[in-house]
Amino acid sequence: MRRRSLLIAAVATVLVAGCSGGGGTDSAAAGEPVSGGSLTWAVETEPITLNPHQYAQAKARLLVWNNFEALLTHDDKGGYVPWLASGYEVSPDGLTYTVKLRTGVTFSDGTPFDAAAVKANVDQLRADGYAPQVAAVQLKNLKSVDVVDPATVKYTLTSPDVLILDFLSSPQGAVVSPKSLKEAANLKAGGPDLAGTGPFILDRYTPGQELHYKRNPSYRDRAAYLDEVTYRFLKESSVRVGALTSGQVQVIEGVPATDQAQITGNSALTLSKGLNSGSAYSYYFNVTHAPFDDIRVRQAFRDALDVDTVLNGVYRGTATRAWSVIGPTSPLYDKTLEGTYGNNPARANATLDAAGWTQRDADGFRVKNGKRLTVRLVQSAPFVRDRRDILAQAVQAAVKQSAGIDLHVSVVDQGTATAALEQGEYEVFDNSRADTDAGAALNLLLSSSGAINRLGISDVGVDKLLANGQASGDPAARAEIYRSLQQKVVAEDSLIQPLYAPADQIAASKKVGGLAFEPTAGVPASAYNLWLSK
Amino acid sequence: MIVVRRLLTGLVVLWAAATAAYLALLAAPGSTVDSIIGDGADTPLIRAQIIQEWGLDRPAVVQYLDYLWRAAQGDLGRSYLLQRPVREVIADQIGPTLTLAVAAALLGALLALTLAVTTRRPWARRVSSTFELVVVSTPPFLIGIVLLSIFSFSLGWFPVSGGQGFASLVLPAVTLALPVAGVLTQVLRDGIDRAMDEPFVVTARARGLGERAVLVRHALRHALLPAVTLTGWLFGILLGGAVIIETVFGRPGLGQVTLQAVNSADMPVVLAVVVFSAFVYVVINTLADLSYLLIDPRLRPAPATPTGA
Repeated sequence: MRRRSLLIAAVATVLVAGCSGGGGTDSAAAGEPVSGGSLTWAVETEPITLNPHQYAQAKARLLVWNNFEALLTHDDKGGYVPWLASGYEVSPDGLTYTVKLRTGVTFSDGTPFDAAAVKANVDQLRADGYAPQVAAVQLKNLKSVDVVDPATVKYTLTSPDVLILDFLSSPQGAVVSPKSLKEAANLKAGGPDLAGTGPFILDRYTPGQELHYKRNPSYRDRAAYLDEVTYRFLKESSVRVGALTSGQVQVIEGVPATDQAQITGNSALTLSKGLNSGSAYSYYFNVTHAPFDDIRVRQAFRDALDVDTVLNGVYRGTATRAWSVIGPTSPLYDKTLEGTYGNNPARANATLDAAGWTQRDADGFRVKNGKRLTVRLVQSAPFVRDRRDILAQAVQAAVKQSAGIDLHVSVVDQGTATAALEQGEYEVFDNSRADTDAGAALNLLLSSSGAINRLGISDVGVDKLLANGQASGDPAARAEIYRSLQQKVVAEDSLIQPLYAPADQIAASKKVGGLAFEPTAGVPASAYNLWLSK
Repeated sequence: MIVVRRLLTGLVVLWAAATAAYLALLAAPGSTVDSIIGDGADTPLIRAQIIQEWGLDRPAVVQYLDYLWRAAQGDLGRSYLLQRPVREVIADQIGPTLTLAVAAALLGALLALTLAVTTRRPWARRVSSTFELVVVSTPPFLIGIVLLSIFSFSLGWFPVSGGQGFASLVLPAVTLALPVAGVLTQVLRDGIDRAMDEPFVVTARARGLGERAVLVRHALRHALLPAVTLTGWLFGILLGGAVIIETVFGRPGLGQVTLQAVNSADMPVVLAVVVFSAFVYVVINTLADLSYLLIDPRLRPAPATPTGA
């Protein structure tokens, strides 16, 4: 039977402490944890909202868990451990999730955390116009939420969906004080007037400048070490690095390849890197029209490209190559794909010849029936990060040189980009998703009804695999399903050109202890475990 | 009467600015729904909810009239992106930007006056001209980074960021003031050169006035007119520069808000910023017109009735 009883309240504390323990960094120099002090952390991105229900930026995740908590959290093996919950049970048919809650927990506004509060949060998420993206995607299969008793909540689903656990451990699933949900001046923007149960309290937000958290004195567990922590928004990486090297801040996030030497060359500083969860940064081939409706052209594009050389050129050896649409740290990742395709210019040229692209025009590009082998990549300027525009130019040069493919790259405003995608005026779509469960990302990217299915595929086999993957509660069986799926879309059908696994970097003074990346998500963890040595 | 006419003209300018911005955003590719969705999940259900929330199914003309009607009542709407009232978004950021702009303008003007008056000798003039050319043609971004590297990262005299306190204002204000000073100095020097060739200077010298007094009391006054005309341009430079300066120094301000709003087609915020900029332009140009009268007695209207006699 698939009944899994996980009532392990006693160890939950330890596990939650471990919530920030994965992917630890070298903080031996900071010695034993000490309490007190205030820390300043320079971050790249100012969140557009501070309401966890509205969360949409992976770069803002390190802030969420300071003042909010969810019912569950991820361990580092793709499983879940209780957080605000004390355990959960799944019914044999996979349709009912009964979650036991911790007792004696209060929100920072003094109101109690209980089953009614959990239900009030889900009701709010499903309210009209509040969080349409959560209601339509994460809560798609949720039928109802019922309060069984003050310490027990029951989630009933319309069809089996293991991703509900991912929702329960996501920022959108964070539990906010229902009182503050009612009273907040700008609910969707969030801010100091939204109360959570976390180890810190957000007490000051200066837009454009910084966020200030103070220790939550009545936190149910070990209090945070730091008295206060300030997150300062510094968009320019060289300015962040300068602020760190001159001691104006103690920690920075986001250190691009070009600035990493300044950190590693300084004995007072440490640098660490965590690979993000979700889907790898990949090129998706639009198969709805020529030339990528022909699998041979898709194969040739991948054969024409030497990903390692391109990544080295752009990121100076700091990028981790991706071989699958799923990121390499996910438990669903299919390692057998590594080294099985790509970087074979001779075969690329032979394939293109066979596909009828035999002529060359004056610029050296291949031509068929008077039409150049052009594929268009449209990037939306506000969402370009990690120098992906430069990477596109490197790919452009590589496929031109080795196989005469014309990759046409344009970086445009958001409206133009969306319009191009709506009208199918593109052949290559680039994207990475930071979902903690890669299955959630693939539902959006590969399903025939997927909200970001820019491949344009409508494949019964793929849909069936996705549905099975979403319904399967057994981790091994689930991994097998996604292995078949990756074999299908990456190896057999050549629908995707994976490029690199997105990563986060933390650079810090060696006086800072407890720095870590969040397990599974792979983004910098909250400030709960940080301390400043005296 | 003149005041009423000025006010009416000002209102027309504001309305025209708002309308032009509205049309420009309307003509931009992609719909408002596209902008709100960004690179997130996109399904018909999500779209329907967004359209309903913001009333986007109404014809553009209705939305426009509705916007004007609300704006006239002081309601600038809510930011699509930030989900906060626009009035609040702007009010939060206007202070730091105005502080920066005024500090930079004063510093720039002071620097320009000092340089134009003191560097009259050929060698000093050559040194100063080179300096002006360098600061005018260097992107403010680079000036900011260089100043930060020296005075913040190496010497540790000033903090890199924050809207708090005087210390954090120094480097941004200097960065923004340098290009302003560069242009103003050149304009002033040119004006002074012309004025020094005028007959009245010869007269003044003949009266036994010292060279310095001739320069400051007579020539400078003539040279000020073209410089004052540049104030409208100056404001443009300050606002445009603020976008860059605020990003480099991590300062709060309108520049950052504007950049984000334009990038994400956050119409209510863009409109508010445009209307506000138009308002400041109107005020500055009015002040500049008035200051002509102060500087140049010839422009003052002749007294209506001869007094005395």
